[in-house]
Amino acid sequence: MANQGVVKSAAMGAPKPVSRRGRKQRGAVRWLVLALMLALLALTLFPFVLALINAVKTGPDYAANGPLSIPTSIQFDALAKFWDMADYSRKLLNSTLISAGVSVLAVLLSLLSAYALGIGEVRGSSVILAMLLLGTMVPQESIVYPIYYMAKAVGLYDTQLAVIIVIAVLQSAFGTYLLASVMSTFPREILEAAEIDGASRWEILINVVVPIMRPTLMVLGTFFFIWTWNEFLIPVVMLVSNDNQTVSVAMGLTRGQNLSDPILQAAASLLGIAPTVIFFLIFQRTLTRGVAAGAVK
Amino acid sequence: MIKLTTLALAAASTLALLGGIAQAQDKTFNIWWFEGADSAQGIAWAKALDEFKAAHPDVTVNFEQKTFAQLQQSGSMILNSNEAPDVLQYNKGNATAGLVASQGLLTNLDDYVVSQGWDKILNEGDFVLSRYDERGIYGSGPVWGIPANGEYVSAFYNIDMFEKAGLMVPTSIEEWEAAMDTFQKQGVTPLALGGVDTSGQHLLASLAYTQADDTWIQNYQGLKEPLDGAPFLYAAQKLVDWVGKGYISKDSTGMKDPDAALLFTSGKAPIYVSGTWNLGGFSATIKDFKWGQFIIPTPKYSVGSTGNLWVIPTGAKNKDLAAEWISLTLSPKYQTEMANAGGVAIAADPATITNPVGKNAVEVFKQISDKNGLGFYPDWPVPGFYDVLNQKDTGLFQGSLTAEQFVEEIKQVYDDAQANQ
Repeated sequence: MANQGVVKSAAMGAPKPVSRRGRKQRGAVRWLVLALMLALLALTLFPFVLALINAVKTGPDYAANGPLSIPTSIQFDALAKFWDMADYSRKLLNSTLISAGVSVLAVLLSLLSAYALGIGEVRGSSVILAMLLLGTMVPQESIVYPIYYMAKAVGLYDTQLAVIIVIAVLQSAFGTYLLASVMSTFPREILEAAEIDGASRWEILINVVVPIMRPTLMVLGTFFFIWTWNEFLIPVVMLVSNDNQTVSVAMGLTRGQNLSDPILQAAASLLGIAPTVIFFLIFQRTLTRGVAAGAVK
Repeated sequence: MIKLTTLALAAASTLALLGGIAQAQDKTFNIWWFEGADSAQGIAWAKALDEFKAAHPDVTVNFEQKTFAQLQQSGSMILNSNEAPDVLQYNKGNATAGLVASQGLLTNLDDYVVSQGWDKILNEGDFVLSRYDERGIYGSGPVWGIPANGEYVSAFYNIDMFEKAGLMVPTSIEEWEAAMDTFQKQGVTPLALGGVDTSGQHLLASLAYTQADDTWIQNYQGLKEPLDGAPFLYAAQKLVDWVGKGYISKDSTGMKDPDAALLFTSGKAPIYVSGTWNLGGFSATIKDFKWGQFIIPTPKYSVGSTGNLWVIPTGAKNKDLAAEWISLTLSPKYQTEMANAGGVAIAADPATITNPVGKNAVEVFKQISDKNGLGFYPDWPVPGFYDVLNQKDTGLFQGSLTAEQFVEEIKQVYDDAQANQ
């Protein structure tokens, strides 16, 4: 997708009158860029291809020819087996619920705190932002035990709500930092105009800031969704019952103590990344629009 | 804004409800294990579970397939909560079963050992990793867990390639070296090895244990004295020698076990030294040639141990049922089932086993176990020793460490831990 864009923009420059020699040179550069982008594309797609060709292989085929060979016959047994073994439809539902919950809650939290820090005047807001940024760097391993005891104390251990709250808070640290930086460049005239019209702070947030920021909020929500989807440590620690677990935790089924089944692993990876890819394709337009909107501001 | 809050609240309460439903009914029996459904243990236990359910129609039996990673990551947290099951499979060793036993999270099984007759089925050597003292160190103290299977490291070999080269199964290290020499002269690198993974240090330890006596093993595993490096020096010298002679590929320094196993399963390398956990996978996937396994020739000690443990959490609600389940997995019927699925059943009668792979494995394990020859794994005595050994033996394979330097460097780590325990 990326290289298409490059080819297009390069082609748009072409009709300009240029000397023969210059055109030739530019042609060469264009081909070079195209080749480079194709190589990058191949590099990006390589893991997907690897997962795909190994997921449909038979065990003996893998044992005899290894991971890089083209499958001698195609079978979907491993995919079906993993789906069954992991009760995958349930896991998909759980992951979707948790990821969606986190992305709504985290965007909401980030928006409110960023509004205070970015637009409102809070003493020492830059210090607070720096601390939030530091907060995003804390390794999760170090906070797992406190979180576990807190969740047990309030009776939320082994519930998805616990995971949603914890991850939403963690991610809103980054969200707050990002949104506050964007909001600090928010045109003051618009805010002053609204104030003169008699809008309260709530009304300014809901009627002025949110509509303008909407594309950025959507991007943030999308990222939160995908990050949460890939989250492993907190779900594995907090969700004990299989019925509560997420897709990324279920992937562990393919790895034993000493061994892993490479075909099952490929099938699991394929099933594991497919939802995020589909989600990304659906929201791709929102994403590019959001990024572009941010850039113009 | 308000809408969103209501939505979030609604979602939250639904979730809370979902969580609540999971805990219901009074007579439920929860059982967990992490062995894969395709593994010999998984196959045998699934069948045993059917019988168990049929024998207790009044009990709702909930089985959950757990993952090794989950229990490794959060085992003690789960055991310390209301979500702990009635019986579960737990990783043996000081850092895992020993730790949770010393934290008081497991049920003392001493009474069950006698009342259920487990002491008649397992010999005292099989109980070594079941006992943990108050510090969580194995070897003495009450019984906290029961193994149903065993495991050992051996050399897997390609029978077809051996026959073609006119070679017999080696019965001494010299014969083994001669066999590798024959392959090497034919242009075949004989030994597949994952230098940065377990199979590297398992080969190292297998060779070291050929030089070990009872005192050495007890001192080494018990962290009783500063390391006597002689057996490791012998092993390291052998490995350096083998790399030099081309028995081990220089590429194996950066290799992981799955890739090394692939060299064996694809028929490129005739020998691969690794554990019995490969038996199931090799049986299922090697179709192009005949293969077998031989024990690395040793006077007494081999790398191996009893398997993971059945444990009963302190908070379990149906302890008698849990003990009954453990007895079922140790019963002749399901021991034979496990061996027939290609597994190393700990107390199966070889005469009843029809699967040649499982039969051989059970016999070999019995041989080692009967002479008390389980030397355990080389990384056990010192926390973090697994990575140290991997790192240092990679240096050995690469040639950046001599055999003497290798022994000196692991001795330093070992002696530090020994002095500071």
